[in-house]
Amino acid sequence: MRPPLPLTVIGGYLGAGKTTLINHVLTGDHGKRLMVMVNDFGAVNIDVELLASASDDTLELTNGCVCCTMGADLFMAVGDVLDRAARPDHLIIEASGIANPARIAQVAETEPDLHYAGIITLVDVLHMARLLADAQIAPQVIEQIRVADIVHPTKAPLSDLQVAKLQSMGATLILDDREAVLSLMWDLDATLPEASRAHAHFVKWSHQGNEVMSEDRVAQALAARPPGLYRIKGFVAAPQGQWIVSVVGRVVEIKPSTRSGPTTLVAIGPEGQVTPEKIDAWWASINEYIN
Amino acid sequence: MSGITVYAARKVLTMDPRRPVASHVAVQEGRILAVGGADCADLWGAVSHDNRFADAVLMPGFVEGHAHMMAGAMWRYAYAGYHDRIDPDGKLWPGLTTIEEVIAGLSSYEAGLAPDAPLVGWGFDPIFLTTERLSRKHLDQISPDRPIAIMFSNFHLMCVNSKALEMAGYSRSSNAEGIVKGPDGAPTGELQEMAAMFPVMRRLGIDFRGLSQTPEAIKSYGEVCKRAGVTTVTDLYSMIEEEDLATLKSVTSEPDFPVRIVPALGTAGSDPQEAARYALRLKRQSTDKLRLGAVKLMTDGSIQGWTARVRWPGYVGGQPNGLWNTPPEQIFALAEAFQGAGVQMHIHVNGDEAAEVSLNAIEAAGQKHPWTGARHVLQHCQMMDGGLFRKAADLGVCCNIFANHIWYFGDQHAALTLGPDRAARMDAVRSALDEGVRVAIHSDAPVTPMGPLFTAWCAVNRQTMSGVTLGPEECITVDEALSTITMGAAYTLGMDTEIGSIEPGKRADFAVLGTDPTAGDPMDLKDVPILGTVSGGQVYLL
Repeated sequence: MRPPLPLTVIGGYLGAGKTTLINHVLTGDHGKRLMVMVNDFGAVNIDVELLASASDDTLELTNGCVCCTMGADLFMAVGDVLDRAARPDHLIIEASGIANPARIAQVAETEPDLHYAGIITLVDVLHMARLLADAQIAPQVIEQIRVADIVHPTKAPLSDLQVAKLQSMGATLILDDREAVLSLMWDLDATLPEASRAHAHFVKWSHQGNEVMSEDRVAQALAARPPGLYRIKGFVAAPQGQWIVSVVGRVVEIKPSTRSGPTTLVAIGPEGQVTPEKIDAWWASINEYIN
Repeated sequence: MSGITVYAARKVLTMDPRRPVASHVAVQEGRILAVGGADCADLWGAVSHDNRFADAVLMPGFVEGHAHMMAGAMWRYAYAGYHDRIDPDGKLWPGLTTIEEVIAGLSSYEAGLAPDAPLVGWGFDPIFLTTERLSRKHLDQISPDRPIAIMFSNFHLMCVNSKALEMAGYSRSSNAEGIVKGPDGAPTGELQEMAAMFPVMRRLGIDFRGLSQTPEAIKSYGEVCKRAGVTTVTDLYSMIEEEDLATLKSVTSEPDFPVRIVPALGTAGSDPQEAARYALRLKRQSTDKLRLGAVKLMTDGSIQGWTARVRWPGYVGGQPNGLWNTPPEQIFALAEAFQGAGVQMHIHVNGDEAAEVSLNAIEAAGQKHPWTGARHVLQHCQMMDGGLFRKAADLGVCCNIFANHIWYFGDQHAALTLGPDRAARMDAVRSALDEGVRVAIHSDAPVTPMGPLFTAWCAVNRQTMSGVTLGPEECITVDEALSTITMGAAYTLGMDTEIGSIEPGKRADFAVLGTDPTAGDPMDLKDVPILGTVSGGQVYLL
C-alpha cells in the first residue's frame, strides 16, 4: 500500500498573494515533486528555463513539480491524482478567493489515501481593515482565518492591534516568516534544506517512554498541547497495540494500529510561538496524570 | 421550389400575435415556409400534405432556458425521489413517499443489478420525509454486501450503507466533519458535503463529469427534451474543454439529434479577460444545433439551503446570511469584462441581495461599455420585488424565473425560510411582466423535472404541494405563460428571430400536443399530453 499523499490547502481572499506564494513553492529548493492545483494559471509565473513543458491546463517544471488547473470538479481532479501510477510527494490546492479552505482540506481527513497537511490562509495586511468592514464579505473572510492552521500576513507587517484582531477571529498561529511557513508545510521527517534552515527557526522536541494510554486519554493529552506546537507525530502505546498520532495545526488524528512498541513522539513549532520548557511541562503533566 | 410539406393540425397555436391561430403549417428545408390554411403554401409550388398531426395541437417547440445536461444521464442511477418522475425512455418511476417505500423501491431495483455493481440512487429529499432520517440501517435492509449510496436531491448530502462506510474506512473513530454520527457514536450513514462524500464516490465509481459531456449523456438529454416538448434547451453551467467541444459538436450534428443545445460556459474562479476570450472563441464554433458563446456566473447559494444572499430582514429562522460563491467585487470585474467583450451573461441569483449586486454590476459595466441589446439574464430571480424588476427593465436585463419552486418548495419557504409574506411574492412573474421585464420561466432540471407546461402551470396557478395558492396576485394567464416558455425564453437566448413562434422564416421547431392548452381549465395545463416534437422539420413522435 502506498503512503497517503499529504494535502495542503492555501486560502485567502482575492489579492492576498496566493499566486505569489505558489510561484515561490513551485520553484523552491525543497527537493519534492509537488502537484499544485490552481483555479487559473494566468498569473502563475514560471521562468522559461525552469519549464519542462506547458499545455492548456498543465505546467511541468524541470524540478519535477507540476502545476495544473483543477477544471470543473476539484474533488474529481483529486481522485485523478490519487489514481495516477506515480503520485506526487505532496499535493497543494489553491482555494478560490471566497472559498472556505476547510471545505477542501476536510477531504484529507476523510480520504484514507490522503494525509492532512494543513490550511494556510493568507491575509493582505494592507486591505485587511477594508475587507473586515465590508458586511457583504467579512463573514466569509473571517471564516478563512478561523479555519487556518497558519495565518500568513502578506504585503506588510502586522501591527499589534491587527494581531489581536486576527486572534479574536480565531487565528491560532500567525507566522510572518515565509520560510518558516513553507518549512511547516512539509512533513516532520523531511530534512529541511540548508537554505531555509538558516532563516527559519524552530523548536523541536522528541520523546520516547513507556506511557500506555487509552484512546480517550491520548485525545485529552493532545487537546491540552501547548499553543504553537504545530506538528506532532508518532506512536502512543495502547493497552493492546498502539495509537498512530498526528497533529497538524488544529487537526488531531488518532488511529489504532496492531503493531506495538514504546511511546515515541516527535514535534515541532516555530520559535517564539512555543518553548521547549512549555512542551516538557505539558508532557510532564500528562505523565503525572497517568501515574 | 419543392420538398414542401404542409402539416394539417387540429389547431396551430403560433404564439405570433398577428396570426395567433392557424390550421396548417408548411415546412421546407427545416424551416417554416407558410402558416394559414390548407392552401397556405400553394403559391410556392407542389406540396405534399401530411395529416399525421390532424388530431394534434401544434405549438412552437418549447424553450427551456435553465436546465443542466445531467438531467439525462442521472437516470443511469436509481431514482429515489418523493415525486413521480418519467425517465428518458418514458418509464414512470413512482415517487417514494415513505422510508418503507424507499427501501422497497430500491430493493426491487437492486434485484436487477449485476452482482458486483454498486447501487447508486439520486433525487432523495428528506424535506418531504419528516418522520425519520434515512440511515445506513435502512439501506442495509436492501443489501448488507453491496455498497449503496443515495445522493440527496441537493447534491450536498448522501446516505450510504454499512458496506460503503466500510469501503471508505469510516468508523466510530472517524472524527472528520461531515461524517454524521448517532447517539451510539457510530456513523449513521449520512455524509454531508463533498469532502465526506468523496471517499465513497471514488470507491463506488460515481463521477459527475460523466453525466455531462459524454455522447450518452448528450443523447439522453435530447430524449428528456423530446418528452417535454422542448426543441431548444440550455446547459446552464457547462465546463467545455477542447475535447468536450469535439464530442458536443459531433453528437449534436448527428442527423437524428432532436434538440438545439445552448451551453453557457461556467466561469467560477476564472480570470475575467481569459474567460471572455474563451467564450468568444467558443462562439465561433457554433453550429445549427449547438449555440455557444454565453457564460454563466454564480453568485450565491440556495434559499432552502439558507445559502442564498438575502437582504434585510434575512431568514425567518434567524439563520445567518448565505454565502457568496463569487464575491461581489469579482462579480463586478466579470460583468465588466464580459460586457466589454460583448459576451452575454446568465447570472445565478436566488436571494434578493445577489440580484441587487448583479444588477449594480451590470449597470456599472454598462456605464463603461455601453451595449444596447446585451440581453444579460438573471437566473432564478426568486426574491426579486417590484424595485428590482424595475431596475432590470431599465437596464434591459431579462429575468428567467424559477416558477417550479412555488409548487415544490413554496410551503417550506412560507414556513421555514422567508415567512408567508415574502414567500407569497416569490418567483413573481406577474410583477416582472407588469414592470416591463422580458421574462422566461424554468425547471432547473434535474433539480425539478423538465416540463415547460408544468412550469407554466406553476406560474399560472401558484399552487404549493399542500394546495395553498401562494400569492394569488402574482398569478399570470395561460396565454402569458405559454408566451414565456416560447418567445420569452427564446428572447433570453437571443434566438427570438429564429425560434419561439410559428411564423414564416423561422425554424420548423414544434411541440406536438394531445390537447389544446388554451381550451381547458388552467389547472389542467400540466396534464396536456406531449406527443413529441418537430425539430428543424424532422418529426420525433414518442
